Amino acid sequence: MPDIETSLFRRAVVALNGGPSDARIVRLVAAQAVKTKAELIAVHVVEIDWTLPLDADIAGRSEDVQRVLDSAETIAEAHKLTMEPVLLQARDVAAAIVDEATERDADLLVVGLPYRKRFGGEFAIGRTVPYILQNAPCAVWVVREPMSEETT
Amino acid sequence: MIGGRRPLQGRKLGDKRLRVERPHAPYFRYTGKGQLTAKEAASIPTTPGARLIARIRAVLLGRPLHQDAELGERLSKRKALAIFSSDAISSSAYATEEIILAFTLAGAGALAVGLALEVAIAIAVLLAVVAFSYRQVCVAYPTGGGSYSVSKANFGKVASLVAASALLIDYNLTAAVSTSSAVEQLVSAIPGLDPLRVGIGVTALGLITLANLRGVREAGNIFAVPTYLFLFSALMMIAIGAYRILVLNEGHQPPPPEIVASTTVTAQAVGVVLLLRAFASGAVALTGTEAIATGVPAFKPPESRNAATTLLVMAGILAVLFVGITFLATNFAVYPIEHPKQTVIAQVARIVYGDNIAFFAFQTFTALLLFLAANTSFAAFPRLAAVLGEDGFFPRQFSFRGDRLAFSTGIVLLGLIAASLVVVAGGHTHALIPLYAVGVFIDFTISQAGMIRHWLRTRSPGWKRRLVINAVGCVATAIVAIVVTSVKFVDGAWFVVVLIPILVSMMLFIRREYDDQERELDVREDIIIEGPHREQRVVIPVNGINRAVVQAVNFGRTMSRDVRAVYVTEDSEEGEGLRQRWERQVPGVPLVIVESPYRAVISPVLAYLDVLDQAWPPDKEAPITIVVLPEYVARHWWERLLYNQTAKRLKAAILGREHTVIADVPYRRDR
Repeated sequence: MPDIETSLFRRAVVALNGGPSDARIVRLVAAQAVKTKAELIAVHVVEIDWTLPLDADIAGRSEDVQRVLDSAETIAEAHKLTMEPVLLQARDVAAAIVDEATERDADLLVVGLPYRKRFGGEFAIGRTVPYILQNAPCAVWVVREPMSEETT
Repeated sequence: MIGGRRPLQGRKLGDKRLRVERPHAPYFRYTGKGQLTAKEAASIPTTPGARLIARIRAVLLGRPLHQDAELGERLSKRKALAIFSSDAISSSAYATEEIILAFTLAGAGALAVGLALEVAIAIAVLLAVVAFSYRQVCVAYPTGGGSYSVSKANFGKVASLVAASALLIDYNLTAAVSTSSAVEQLVSAIPGLDPLRVGIGVTALGLITLANLRGVREAGNIFAVPTYLFLFSALMMIAIGAYRILVLNEGHQPPPPEIVASTTVTAQAVGVVLLLRAFASGAVALTGTEAIATGVPAFKPPESRNAATTLLVMAGILAVLFVGITFLATNFAVYPIEHPKQTVIAQVARIVYGDNIAFFAFQTFTALLLFLAANTSFAAFPRLAAVLGEDGFFPRQFSFRGDRLAFSTGIVLLGLIAASLVVVAGGHTHALIPLYAVGVFIDFTISQAGMIRHWLRTRSPGWKRRLVINAVGCVATAIVAIVVTSVKFVDGAWFVVVLIPILVSMMLFIRREYDDQERELDVREDIIIEGPHREQRVVIPVNGINRAVVQAVNFGRTMSRDVRAVYVTEDSEEGEGLRQRWERQVPGVPLVIVESPYRAVISPVLAYLDVLDQAWPPDKEAPITIVVLPEYVARHWWERLLYNQTAKRLKAAILGREHTVIADVPYRRDR
């Protein structure tokens, strides 16, 4: 089994979806990053549907969207780390995350996964995580939310 | 539009994404709905001059601290004893000396050998009474029972302000007396420093002020060390000295011949007044006793019990030190020497330890403890001033925390007052003592009286026993307050007696001012604020036609249709020339030319505004007159002297005029 220390990263992209898992994954990554003073990049992608132009003034105007990145930055600062916040607008969230991680030459991509069930009771993984797992050139950590009472 | 957008091509065709700039990010953070929190960058000044000042401040005082950096550290009993009792314990360094001095100055120096110890024991008994009384305060006020809060809760405004005034005076004197005494301890060890007393004292206060402005953590271990070093070495000194007196029979020395020669009072003729004077002088030993009761919330749980226990331990230690040092001083017949200054405690230490490293170490520890005692005032005074500021009795800036989370205004004020006291007293502790104990005992009395009221009001379990303890404390401290004030009245206590009512009146005056202002600005909760209902008109004083004026006119036009320019001149031809140009270039805005043969500029404009008001139809509500001032922005600080002087005078003259608003329209040069 490889030494856990050697598998640590130097630059991680943390994909935030604006949900409750964001704080958990930022805390997790920050706790690891502190050890090696790794670089952290928080990415939040706002999906723009095809009825609007890609450069529609959506993300920049939304306080809620800004808050997603600002909250992550606050958690990172509490760990005495600097986190670069990146706000994106894209047609496809997963592709945008992978492209940003590739362009940034990240060696780790961390993504949260909400625990959801399809109608009929089967676990629903969605489109984003499989795409990332399939296309990301770096290591990927998927942090699944714990099951809540409603979902079990 | 918030932020720019930068399109980026993804790895696959069609995978486009857009990076959205976040212009707020360097300066602010969204922390809630409609809520922004400023980051450090937002607090950095923008002008070069202000930036330079900020940099100097950062070097001197440290970088600004975040609000969350405030420590809420809870103290163990051991640590709290060291931190809260430095003020009280340090008074043992000069209390004995004050008793002996009281005898010497009354021409009864030789009698101090026989009587000082009895006086010290009487004061120790009083200390026990006060300690037991304050123990009740710890129990009743777990949120911190300073005499101000106790009296505020039980008596109301005036009594609490008397207590607050006495406390404020007390804190200033603690800082000054402790510093002076610390310097005297240093001078006793190194007599060559005697001429520099005042300078050393003021420098020390300056450094303490600076350290506190940087935000000293009084909970730090560093503050516990001097107290325990002093305690250890002082108790050892008492033990060795007592052994030499009681076992080796080295004590019972006669007073020095010069003291005997100066003694004019016989043992039989010692009056009550002299004894009371000595008692009043030694009563300074009790100063600082209430510190623990004030700081109950800083203790580890159970806060009240731990604070009460620590208070009794502190009182016990103080009593042992005070009586012990007096016992040694009287047995070794030690008298204070003024030139060069040799304090009683220094002489006792020199006799016990010898003229060696142990003596110098003891003097250093004593001086350190006294400086630490001065430092406790720098924590307490600004905090009380902040509380008074919040209650509206002190200017509000006293309750604002500075860059380093310290109450900077209070710290600076205390530093200045304490330094002035040291200068006025010439660095002599004795000169300040008559002012000292008066405020302290007034405080004790008010606080204990407040406690009596508290028990009568709450009637909580065991209230009768507690009430008796506080009643005894109240009566005892009230008697001492009267004694101290009357026997030291001429020596300086009168100053405190006069100062307290002045301070109380000042605080009541400030509160009345704030109350009046609040009443004036109050908006009833049931009123719905609709749009403005007064008409607006714009008046623009101009000096010709230039870009700044054009900008001001354009701005004025956005606020009202009724816009007019006013040009004051002494030369009618020049005025007429301007009118022709004005009508051609600025149509729709009438220019009023005011000829001023007496060459005044400001008054004619004001008179014109008055005329406008008088010409307004009396049946209509008076309009808002907006005076728009074109202002040329200087590029350098020295350029400010060259421009806008008339505008400044005009602004000052208009400020406060009814229904009149001033609007500065700055014109900035492009390069």
